[in-house]
Amino acid sequence: MQGKIIVIEHLVKRYPIGEGEFTALKDVTLTFDKGEFAGFVGPSGSGKTTMLNIIGSLDRPTEGMVTVEGEDVSGLSAKASALLRKQHIGFIFQSFNLLPVYNVFENVELSLLLLKKSAAERKKAVTDALEWVGLQDMAGKKPPQLSGGESQRVAIARAMVKRPNIVLADEPTANLDAANAHIIMQTMQKLNEELKTTFIFATHDEKVMKYLKRIISLQDGRVAKDEMLEPKTAQP
Amino acid sequence: MMLSLKLAYKNLIRAGLKTWLNALALSFAFVLIIFYNGLIDGWNNEARQDAIEWQDGTGQLLNASYDPGDPFTIEEGHGFLPDSKQKNLTPILVWQGTIYPQGRMMPVLLKGIDVNQTTIKIPTNILKDSSEEYPVVIGRAMATAAHLHQGDRMQLRWRDHNGTFDAAEMTVAGIFETNVPFVDAGQLWMPLRRLWDMTGLKGQVTLFVANEYYTPKKIAGWEFLDQKTLLKPLTDIINAKKMGGAIMYMLLLAIGLLVIFDTQALSIFRRQKEIGTYIAMGLSKPEVIGIFTIEGTMYSIFATAMGLLYGAPLFIYFAKTGISFSVSGDTMGIIIAPTIYPVYGVGLILNTFILLVFSAAFVSLLAAWKIVKMNPVEALKGKAL
Repeated sequence: MQGKIIVIEHLVKRYPIGEGEFTALKDVTLTFDKGEFAGFVGPSGSGKTTMLNIIGSLDRPTEGMVTVEGEDVSGLSAKASALLRKQHIGFIFQSFNLLPVYNVFENVELSLLLLKKSAAERKKAVTDALEWVGLQDMAGKKPPQLSGGESQRVAIARAMVKRPNIVLADEPTANLDAANAHIIMQTMQKLNEELKTTFIFATHDEKVMKYLKRIISLQDGRVAKDEMLEPKTAQP
Repeated sequence: MMLSLKLAYKNLIRAGLKTWLNALALSFAFVLIIFYNGLIDGWNNEARQDAIEWQDGTGQLLNASYDPGDPFTIEEGHGFLPDSKQKNLTPILVWQGTIYPQGRMMPVLLKGIDVNQTTIKIPTNILKDSSEEYPVVIGRAMATAAHLHQGDRMQLRWRDHNGTFDAAEMTVAGIFETNVPFVDAGQLWMPLRRLWDMTGLKGQVTLFVANEYYTPKKIAGWEFLDQKTLLKPLTDIINAKKMGGAIMYMLLLAIGLLVIFDTQALSIFRRQKEIGTYIAMGLSKPEVIGIFTIEGTMYSIFATAMGLLYGAPLFIYFAKTGISFSVSGDTMGIIIAPTIYPVYGVGLILNTFILLVFSAAFVSLLAAWKIVKMNPVEALKGKAL
């Protein structure tokens, strides 16, 4: 398991539903190398988002072990989980989750504020991040003034600005049109190649799948297929 | 902590009008608390000063048989005190009588006082300078109640110490203005020597008023009440008024705090995604609770700033010009000046600020406590509550 950034062994996740329980993940075993551009695909309810939440230590496994950056997330305290997310994990959400009262610059800067970076460091890093996503001219705009594509690019900049080792993207293109979806995927692909950041997606969007180098198909909480694809650059 | 402060401050400032409306609601409570307490403090200061200047001096030496609250003790409540022990004391003999102004009957308290005294503000110099045989000075309230004017004459009937009725014609030598009803209503002030003659109680005194140079000593048959004891009933009345007023401004404060609680509770409901995002970005739940609690607490700081902005000119204006009341002490039965000058001290403002900050922090924490039970995954979807 050496060199693996994420190790998942016999992961089971159950949720209580009324008197009974629902098993979202059933005995999942997987590993991820640093720099992967992988995605969980499958229909709704197959366990994609649950996988990301557990890897991102937002949720805990019911059984099994999940190691992220050498830390077993099932045994982490709330404080240690927060620290892991703060330092090593970036999140991109389907509905962008930008803070509406902050402008673009401040939304991206927030990750660095949490890491207590100096003002000068923050300014440089945010400027770089906005350049990566091509929004350097929109730093002063507020989220309501942005289009969906622009909002998601801000979310990518926010996830990437702290140079995390892992970025978890949950249906990042679900609220975008085709053209914007491709721009977003290309941006992330470029960042993956340049910064060697590990990207893990949860998606059922064909447009996203075209870009992935590894597709893990989930079916009823189990890994149905795990295929490595030839590296390629998808065209819109 | 600094980060939470920064984020909370930013969130509030960026929320714009909503923030200022909430702060405004709370600022009313802040201003009213200070205004009311300042008014009561001003009243307290003036009333205490008036009581000291007109009635209590630095203390009173009372005949042990005399109880100022019990008129039945007047008849026996007097006695002798050697001259050597009367230094720095103003003697007063209290007796009962009845006047008949314009043919009406009116029971009165006769107070014989040393006309040379300077301890209390009863204008005894008028009595000293008067050429009338039975001069009296009365307060404005008494004059109004009895329809008496300066120079008026009226019949007084009293009983001497043996119980024999006697009568004489009194002359109103002067009318004085005072805020202290206890030296005014139903009272005639006359020269002590004259009252001694009238009652046959020569040399006897009911009570002495002490000046600032008097050193209290234990004297058999006499009881010394210090200034604090004498002012206690007044202090109790004022404190009771303060408590009564507190109910009013506590209600206003409660409304202000309810606004904050409501805003914060609603804010937490509406900002679930934001809370989830904070947690996803690496903030712990206590840190997020901290942000929301500080946000709510900051309302109180903004409210203070806002309250001072429009309240300070008002406070300064009223402290300078005073506030006039249509009621006077004689109708209220308490010492109250027609114009009260409120006292707005730093302590009052600071204490009100602290009260506001702590209560706002408490209700904000109460509202933010929901975050403890929030599932971050559900929060990210906006479905945690």
